[in-house]
Amino acid sequence: MNNNKFTSPEDLNRLRERLVKQREEGRIIITVCAGTGCLACGCEAVTAAFREALKENQLEDKVEIRTTGCHGFCERGPLVVLRPEGTFYQRVKPADAKLIVEQTIKHGKLVNKLLYRDPQTKEVIVKEDDIPFYSKQMRLIFGMNGHMDPTSINDYIALGGYQALAKALLTMTPEQVIDEVKKSGLRGRGGGGYHAGKKWASCRRAKGEPKYVICNADEGDPGAFMDRSLLEGNPHGVIEGMVIGAFAIGSHDGYVYVRNEYPLAVKNLNIAVDAAREHGFLGDNIFGSSFNFDIDVSRGGGAFVCGESTALMASLEGKIGEPRAKYVHTVDAGLWDKPSNLNNVETWANVPLIIEKGADWYSRIGTASSKGTKVFALTGKINNTGLVEVPMGITLREIIFDIGGGPPKGKKFKAVQTGGPSGGTLVVETREPKVHESLVAHGDIRDEEEVVSLLDLPVDFDELTKVGSMMGSGGMIVMDQDSCMVDVAKYFLNFLQEESCGKCTPCREGLRITLEILTRISEGKGQMEDLDTLEEISQVMIDTCLCQLGGSAPNPVLSTIRYFRQEYLAHIVEKRCPAGVCKELVSHAIDETCTGCHVCFSVCPTNAIIGQTKTLHVIDQDACIQCGACYQLCRFDSIKRVKRGEGDAIQYVAKEKWHPPVKKKAAAVA
Amino acid sequence: MEKVSITIDGKPIEVEEGSYVLQAAEELGIKIPTLCYYEHMTPYAACRICSVEARDGKGWTKIVTACNYPAWDGLQIFTDTPRVITARKVNLEMLMSHCAPAPVLQELADELGVKEPRWGIGTDTCIMCGLCVRICDEVVGAHALTFSSRGIDREVSTPFKLESEDCILCGACARYCPTGHIRMTDTNGRILHSELTLGPNTAISIPFRQAIPNAPRIDPDYCIHMATGGCKLCSKVCPKECINYEDKDEFEELEIGAIIIATGFQDFDPTPMQQFGYGKYPNVLSSIEFEQMNNAASPTDGKILMENGEEPRSIAILHCIGSRDEDHHKYCSRVCCMYALKFAHLVKEKTNAEVYQLYIDMRTFGKGYEEFYQRILTEGVNVIRGKGGEIVPAPPEYSSEGNLLVRCEDTLIGKFREIPVDMVILCTALEARGDAEDIARKFNISTGADGWFIEAHPKLAPVSTTTEGVFLAGVCQGPKDIPDTVAQGTAAAAHSIRLLNMGEVLMDAAYAEIVEEFCSGCRICNGLCPYNAITFDEEKKVSEINSALCKACGTCVAACPTGAIKARHFTDDQIYAQIEGILA
Amino acid sequence: MTNFEPKILGILCNWCSYTGADLAGTARMKYPANMRSVRVMCSGRVDPGFIFDALRAGADGVLVCGCHPGDCHYHEGNYKCMRRIPLTKILLEDMGIDPRRLRLEWVSASEGARFQQVVTEFTEELRALGPLKLRELNFDPDHPAGGDNHVAVESAAHDELEAGH
Repeated sequence: MNNNKFTSPEDLNRLRERLVKQREEGRIIITVCAGTGCLACGCEAVTAAFREALKENQLEDKVEIRTTGCHGFCERGPLVVLRPEGTFYQRVKPADAKLIVEQTIKHGKLVNKLLYRDPQTKEVIVKEDDIPFYSKQMRLIFGMNGHMDPTSINDYIALGGYQALAKALLTMTPEQVIDEVKKSGLRGRGGGGYHAGKKWASCRRAKGEPKYVICNADEGDPGAFMDRSLLEGNPHGVIEGMVIGAFAIGSHDGYVYVRNEYPLAVKNLNIAVDAAREHGFLGDNIFGSSFNFDIDVSRGGGAFVCGESTALMASLEGKIGEPRAKYVHTVDAGLWDKPSNLNNVETWANVPLIIEKGADWYSRIGTASSKGTKVFALTGKINNTGLVEVPMGITLREIIFDIGGGPPKGKKFKAVQTGGPSGGTLVVETREPKVHESLVAHGDIRDEEEVVSLLDLPVDFDELTKVGSMMGSGGMIVMDQDSCMVDVAKYFLNFLQEESCGKCTPCREGLRITLEILTRISEGKGQMEDLDTLEEISQVMIDTCLCQLGGSAPNPVLSTIRYFRQEYLAHIVEKRCPAGVCKELVSHAIDETCTGCHVCFSVCPTNAIIGQTKTLHVIDQDACIQCGACYQLCRFDSIKRVKRGEGDAIQYVAKEKWHPPVKKKAAAVA
Repeated sequence: MEKVSITIDGKPIEVEEGSYVLQAAEELGIKIPTLCYYEHMTPYAACRICSVEARDGKGWTKIVTACNYPAWDGLQIFTDTPRVITARKVNLEMLMSHCAPAPVLQELADELGVKEPRWGIGTDTCIMCGLCVRICDEVVGAHALTFSSRGIDREVSTPFKLESEDCILCGACARYCPTGHIRMTDTNGRILHSELTLGPNTAISIPFRQAIPNAPRIDPDYCIHMATGGCKLCSKVCPKECINYEDKDEFEELEIGAIIIATGFQDFDPTPMQQFGYGKYPNVLSSIEFEQMNNAASPTDGKILMENGEEPRSIAILHCIGSRDEDHHKYCSRVCCMYALKFAHLVKEKTNAEVYQLYIDMRTFGKGYEEFYQRILTEGVNVIRGKGGEIVPAPPEYSSEGNLLVRCEDTLIGKFREIPVDMVILCTALEARGDAEDIARKFNISTGADGWFIEAHPKLAPVSTTTEGVFLAGVCQGPKDIPDTVAQGTAAAAHSIRLLNMGEVLMDAAYAEIVEEFCSGCRICNGLCPYNAITFDEEKKVSEINSALCKACGTCVAACPTGAIKARHFTDDQIYAQIEGILA
Repeated sequence: MTNFEPKILGILCNWCSYTGADLAGTARMKYPANMRSVRVMCSGRVDPGFIFDALRAGADGVLVCGCHPGDCHYHEGNYKCMRRIPLTKILLEDMGIDPRRLRLEWVSASEGARFQQVVTEFTEELRALGPLKLRELNFDPDHPAGGDNHVAVESAAHDELEAGH
């Protein structure tokens, strides 16, 4: 085993040169994304199909298949990139493998149907780098994902891995490393945005031995999966960062606290830790120096609150995952009351970059207060769901529209929620959606509307906090015109209430009461004073909650009230839901545009829709449960969401106006 | 630790750096309400009621919890800003919306001026203060309690809600539960007469009023520290640092001049007498169980109650259980008649129950005893001459009168009777302690056939024993009542004092001596002496007897081949003369 | 012969047997008046000479009583006695005297009833054995401790010594 251990950077360089040479021998590499998104889309079958196809064409020697970590463009998975050309195929099915091998690899022809077509310009794009989704990004820490097999340490070394470690360990003192990180301006990517260098320095200064280095990989925010993708796609980057951090802090024990719900991440991480140990990047006398460090992988039990640092440490200790007061910082008394430095996956992954390329280079990226890049998990009502890595300071507009491609089906963008469930919802545009006029606000409310456009807000830690949200771990949930803000707040509060540990009163009871009030409002039973009460409870929660889960929990409520007060008022005063989401306030009705296609009839779970083919359909208002199944399905927008109780009136008018849709049908056929 | 200056509501105070604000406020006499703080446990900061506002004087301000916020130099604490008041009020209101109005919450509500909680009043009796979990964890060290579930479903329970093997039944959780959510219960709230005890119910107590020294001691059977190694609360609160956990029972050698044996008696166990159903029917009590229940300090507060907690409608008192019984003890236990009459009197005084006395002979021999008996008769106690024969569950037709049926023969009217009662008291015999034989052997005294110690002479020396300096007092010598016991004890004390006051010990004139001229120096006697009183004089080549050590057994005398040893008062010549005289 | 009343010498230890006898007395227990007792402090004090002397002096039997084994006031005096009596019995047999005329019994202070029973039994036994006739055995009662006897007693003492060491 010792033969594999590197005792000097020269060894590492020799291996790297050999690997690079191998790679440059002109072989074609088929990289199949095996991130979780693509796995779910069936990329394993695609890989198998490629193997089969290569075998058939006797190309096994010339072409290499590499299953890689997440490429980020999950919306279009399974993704296949042919390297070194960079030809990008999307939504590849197993049957397409043969086609690609025979057409592209053998004859250099492109397979048109698998190429990316820009939804807006309808332009066909061949190269991965040219796709707007990628071209607007700055993939510093995600960059390697698409080029390497996460289970192969050689791939990582070939791409320059562990060079930073060698540099830090052999040419720098711990203080220099900390200075470098301080100078780079790296801030914790877990949510708080605390300066990593400062934290390391105080942990180094703290009295007590041993010191612990912990990687928080307990990513529990709904819709966030960048830590997962990093651990799955490039675990060595995180390990390297941790070793450098441990060296700087003076720690010899590291823990990675990873969600057990991430089996692939756990697997790849364990493979990587073993490989790193085998190669002497972990263990005793790393790189022949006197520095010893090793990492334990610990799997979490699935509690959201365990992403909070003190709760995480309690869980690591084998106790109930409950936070404690952080009046004494964890860098002084953390895990087992010893000085502990906890950073999240993404933060650690940034460290090798900073050491390798230097703080000056790193600090040139981003804004004055926030340096480097940030990975966002773009989800919700958006075309290009996926992980995007962008430099700090980029505007929301660029992320949502240029990279994300805007909301699907041409619907109007309404808001974006950042920072996970405890983050805030930012309005960027008000709506003028296609809502029935009975749902449109009356004049008096409209006048009070304050349109706050934050689309051009530069995204960094401080800007987001200023507008009532937070960076969080980087979840970004996009909402379109069909999203009701009361419902959104209710959804997040419900999540938080279920995940609250229940230790302190304001979080446990406050969330319950807040949720009760929100539910009441969404049912049209709200009172005007409810808004004041919500704000009062929220303020008390911010003031008195034990940990940040509770302290930031009112964010969704406060920010939706702040930016969508009129929508709350619509629910409370007019008893209507402008987006037509809150079931108790909405009626579904069919208007005269109905073609009698009968699709809605079959989907209705309560048989509330009455009508024969090619006749006007009618919704029985008493039987309708407002599930919205018909609304989602109707291709003719004939089903309307209207204010509760006004459905019959619409259907009455429809009966008067309706005539068999001869023309429309013909048009549809054409 | 360094001292730092902080101010609370403008009042300055110097405290140790890192000490908690709440403690400093207490020192200043500023009251900060809290629900989850207890000085001997780690602050938990769960209730958030102790919220105060912290400032640094430069514009920074934050609401913190006083119970665990560490003091630092220049810290300014404000306990009554509007922000603090709102925080406390709203938190209390939120808590009340979940919890039943326990007094501790109601008090706090009055204090904070919360008249009507806006979100209603809940039903949960637990306020999640975590005192129980922490006391079990940190103080007791049993780790038997935990919080389970999370969020609004959070509750205190044993792990997996199973009966905990780690629970030592110390009751600390219930003691510290501020709302009564945790309670100690016996099996289904029944009164188990056999388990009512009179003893102190804390681990630290003065064992009894007359104890010498009259100081508290730790009962290792109940001490939490002895059970788990945790707790030690007493040592934390004792200002004189008197608590010593290392103190153990130890053997001490004392030089004493006299010994009084007063080991008392044990109760006869009526379980083997199956006809009385003791241990089988819950409301059949032994006399001592009844006595314990009757005591004002008993768990029933001295009320006479049946197992189901109700007052009995009728009680039968059966005399001579195990006494005056060919199969058990032939002797009379002497005290039962009188205490049975006392019981009858107490029952009449405390309840409306009918009382039946079932006796063989009413032995009211002492001073004033007969008069007491006559008084009881006037109190309406039913006195039946005839020993109780059997106790069975009452058939349904008697259910209006009693649950048990006592069968007996009323010898005065010559009839067999069945008496329905709710409760039966068995007047059990006094019997010698099981270890009386061991005690007797240790002190070289004897026990009689019944196990009572034998006095030196039944008439002339009722306090002394056959061993010089060992005296008897009390029931260990034979059943007797309190006045007799006191008399005998006093006598034993007087005997002892006489011995002690003499200063010099009168030696028995009987001891052995060696006539030097006859001693051959064979040393046969040396090894025989049980008291090592015989030594060999190497110079004279003869053996010598230390007359102070010699107890005059005469073993050496009989063994001496030359007849050189003389037992004074038991010389060969004297004995031969006696033999001669007797047989002449 | 039917009117023969044996003379018995009782040698009783002070602590158990003598007290036991006393107890029998205070308890008004009747036992044959044939026995007269001599008190010694311990059964270990019983010199075989006492036994021979008693038989010479006209006793028909000798009853030695001590504490039960383990109960001796002097810890182990009764064990000494327990060894000496069988040896003495052998001597008696050699002399032509029925060894049943010597009896060793354990009577504790509380065993008044047992004392009564032992004495009664022994009296009955001796009554059955009849009077001891030393002259018929060609024994000179005026010189009881002849040279042979001395040797025997001494050798017994030596045995005892060896056993003791």
